[in-house]
Amino acid sequence: MRRLLRLVLLAALTVWAWRFLAARRATHERVGVSYADGSSLVLEPGSTGFERLAAVARGALSP
Amino acid sequence: MDVAQALQELTELSAQVERAVVLDAEGSVVGSTVADERATERLATVARDLTTAAGELHAGGDEVTRVEVELRDGAVFVLREGGRTIAAVTSPEPTAGLVAYDLRTCLHAIDDTPKPRRRRAGQEPKEEADE
Repeated sequence: MRRLLRLVLLAALTVWAWRFLAARRATHERVGVSYADGSSLVLEPGSTGFERLAAVARGALSP
Repeated sequence: MDVAQALQELTELSAQVERAVVLDAEGSVVGSTVADERATERLATVARDLTTAAGELHAGGDEVTRVEVELRDGAVFVLREGGRTIAAVTSPEPTAGLVAYDLRTCLHAIDDTPKPRRRRAGQEPKEEADE
């Protein structure tokens, strides 16, 4: 029983450490769009819409 | 308040906004915080392209009111209200809500009606004088 408890604790710690490191490494890149009808959408890196809008926006960010 | 004054107030108010342009309903530049004409036109083009691309993402074809693109090198915000569009470039990881509020305040500060020109006493208005 004690060994099982230790194993569960170790697994929980490993998951927490992995999530903590992943969150730190993650970039905060995102695209948000709102429309006149009140709807909105958020695009994350990797989606087609995000890549398209990010490519357009980079034109204004480059010196 | 005219466009130049509103933009000046925006840059004084918001430390995150690096540069901004205001476009009219036709998409023409009516004001900018950047002296360089090419940089102004580039930001205006990005604003127009972003709203077009964002509009194509929505099936209903409704008007785009706000686009925020947050990237590692900085962020681009486009806000449309009352026929005007304001586009701004900010530093990386901006406080999106605050920047959007500042941009909206800037748009609201712009007067719709042009200020009447002061005439010297006794001078007739041009239209009447031509008749």
